[in-house]
Amino acid sequence: MDAINPLATIALAGLIHASFQLSISTLTLLGSHTVGARASKRRLLKLIYGFSFGAVLMTLLTVSSVTLWVQIAFGNMVPPLAWATTCGLLLGLSVAVWIFYYRKEPGTSLWVPRGLARYLMSRTKATHVTAEAFGLGITSVVAEMLFIIGPIAVTALLLIELEPILQLTGLAVYTLTSLLPFLFVAALISNGYNIGKIQRWRAANKGFLQFIAGCGLIVLAFCVYVNQVSQGVAIGGGGL
Amino acid sequence: MSASTTYIVKRQGKRPTEAFKAEKLHASIVAVCLSVQAPIGQAEATASSVCNEVTVWLDEKPEVTSEDLRRKAAIVLEKYHQDAAHLYKHHHMVI
Repeated sequence: MDAINPLATIALAGLIHASFQLSISTLTLLGSHTVGARASKRRLLKLIYGFSFGAVLMTLLTVSSVTLWVQIAFGNMVPPLAWATTCGLLLGLSVAVWIFYYRKEPGTSLWVPRGLARYLMSRTKATHVTAEAFGLGITSVVAEMLFIIGPIAVTALLLIELEPILQLTGLAVYTLTSLLPFLFVAALISNGYNIGKIQRWRAANKGFLQFIAGCGLIVLAFCVYVNQVSQGVAIGGGGL
Repeated sequence: MSASTTYIVKRQGKRPTEAFKAEKLHASIVAVCLSVQAPIGQAEATASSVCNEVTVWLDEKPEVTSEDLRRKAAIVLEKYHQDAAHLYKHHHMVI
């Protein structure tokens, strides 16, 4: 039963990661240009699978790497100071998400620097090769690192306190929950769903998505504070 | 002055200005219609209708920007296919 609380918190962190939209934006662009260029269904599926595999692999590798670094730094016990710092990071990120995650212009353009956005768009439109789609999947996760580092840091800190088998379970829970909407959109595009409808829905609801992402980060910060910082201070007599 | 001599100023002059080519507009409208799962026949017919209306609009203009052209084409396209028009209008604002 002790594992339920950390795994539930990891799932919450994964859902917050899922509310960030760069991978989905890149995927819809890839899908619309591939379909618009009259490419075969087989090529569309190969590109989507390549892109999805890149995003899944990079998410797994990022969480695993951060967990390893955190384990090297702290061993199997996280000091309350690290938890408190993570809480502050989450609160700061929530404000940043509310202020500038989506640009204040029509469409679904994100905070991403325009040079990087132009590069991503031009390569996404031009790609015909599965390997490049795989690379774009990786890049879309890396490019969003500024925002996803908060949920990933919480996950890494929780994972190092778990048994090895539960660490793998936690890693799987995070990866699955963080990529749920992305995989859902990938399945829709693969099955010939109208990409215009997806984009119109995203553009119409971007304010809501932004608000939910910011609120989610605050809820996660609160969970971490209650479960880790306040308990750690109470048990450890104030390790801050 | 005919539409073929209307010049398109691309990316606020950062790329060379070029003469309007209806076939380029046609191809881009067909592509966006196909990307929202419109059948090929409907995509071709929609593209022809949009090109005709845009060509009439360009008839009196010696020069327009590519943004104006896209905006006008999107307004016309909206009459035929709203999802396609949304994608066409915001294609630079996805990421």
